[in-house]
Amino acid sequence: MRPAMQPDFEEVSARGLVKTFGATRAVAGVSMRLRAGTITAVLGHNGSGKSTLLAMLAGLARPTRGEILYGSHPIDVVRGRVGVLLHASMLYPDLTARENLALVAELHGRGEADVARVTSALELGAFLDKPVRVYSRGQLQRASLARALLPEPRLLLLDEPSTGLDAASFAKLVTTLRAQREAGRIVVLVTHDQTLVDSVADVVHSMTNGRLAAEAAA
Amino acid sequence: MSFARTAYVTFRKDLAIELRTKEIVTTTGLFAVLVALVASLAFYLDASRARAIAPGVIWISITFAGLLAMTRSWARERENDAFRMLLTAPVPRAGIYVGKVMASFVFACVIEVVLVPFAAMLFRVDLAAVAGPLLALLALGTFGFVVTATLFSALTIKSSARDLMLSIVIFPLITPSLLASVAGTRELFGGAPIADVLDWMRLLGAYDVAMLTAGAWLFGPLVAD
Repeated sequence: MRPAMQPDFEEVSARGLVKTFGATRAVAGVSMRLRAGTITAVLGHNGSGKSTLLAMLAGLARPTRGEILYGSHPIDVVRGRVGVLLHASMLYPDLTARENLALVAELHGRGEADVARVTSALELGAFLDKPVRVYSRGQLQRASLARALLPEPRLLLLDEPSTGLDAASFAKLVTTLRAQREAGRIVVLVTHDQTLVDSVADVVHSMTNGRLAAEAAA
Repeated sequence: MSFARTAYVTFRKDLAIELRTKEIVTTTGLFAVLVALVASLAFYLDASRARAIAPGVIWISITFAGLLAMTRSWARERENDAFRMLLTAPVPRAGIYVGKVMASFVFACVIEVVLVPFAAMLFRVDLAAVAGPLLALLALGTFGFVVTATLFSALTIKSSARDLMLSIVIFPLITPSLLASVAGTRELFGGAPIADVLDWMRLLGAYDVAMLTAGAWLFGPLVAD
């Protein structure tokens, strides 16, 4: 489906999400509502189910039980409106960042202007034409964030986005996330980074043993 | 994005990576040539028996090299979880499948351009006399292997027992295509009437159409979580 034909949505609602892997219950009944123009942070220890929850919101993992609606639509109808940053960069290591971003642009029906927009916003110029394989962790993270932002997603899902970033890059990440909120996007952060949460989050959820334990306004 | 455009973009991406690394064609091509060379040293008795052995050697080389190429091609998709870039795009997944098939078919053809004349030289096969039908058999047999192997190699994206799964799933499924390819090539090299060879080609063609249809239909569900 072409991006232009994909519907917009103002909120994402998840109801009764459960995800099991064999005998392990990674997510054990999560319900949440994510609103436009809001940055929601999900905090929790390793293995608490945060990344699995994010993968389900991204449509990369099918819930064992429960339902996620993007506005009134299932993921298949709005797939191109969801941007995701995971632990892995989702970039081809033998291609340059420019080639990877051009590929993303083509797959999403976007053009060179969109590639230029994200490379400029995240200042990828110095390493844009080097193969991704030689990138440092921080460079890889910035290139991956550019990939996620390129299609101007309505829902932006970020798993540990500050990993490997130096102070300047961290500041750029904060600026970028605030700009996403200003643009009315729905942003979800899964992180251990309290500084990042304090800098940008509007709503904070705490996750333990696959359940959302608490919600607080940041 | 349309089905055809998705297939083309996926194909072009695989081609760009291979042109940069030359990894698949070089390693699997050398492997295929080595298999043919070892077989010629081990089994060569005289020119007549060599021609009888040649079909088996050629298709074993193609199959093993093809599996090696397929494994490497999907390892590229697993690295950095890059395949998810395709899965998160609003494109028809059947188009991704066809693009991967096209790229693997081209890589296999490049390998065969080296392998088949080399094997023909080792086993005293007069290629000029059989060129047309042999090209058709190679194209049909290779395509059948590629459509099947691409579909089930996609499963290795998620499975930790990927090599075991490849062997258990792919070998039984490619058996009809492999047997028809070997038998058709045997008839051709043995001087059988072209009608006999055409029967094997029809069988291969039917297999290819059936597996391509099944692949385009099943690929999406297979790569979904």
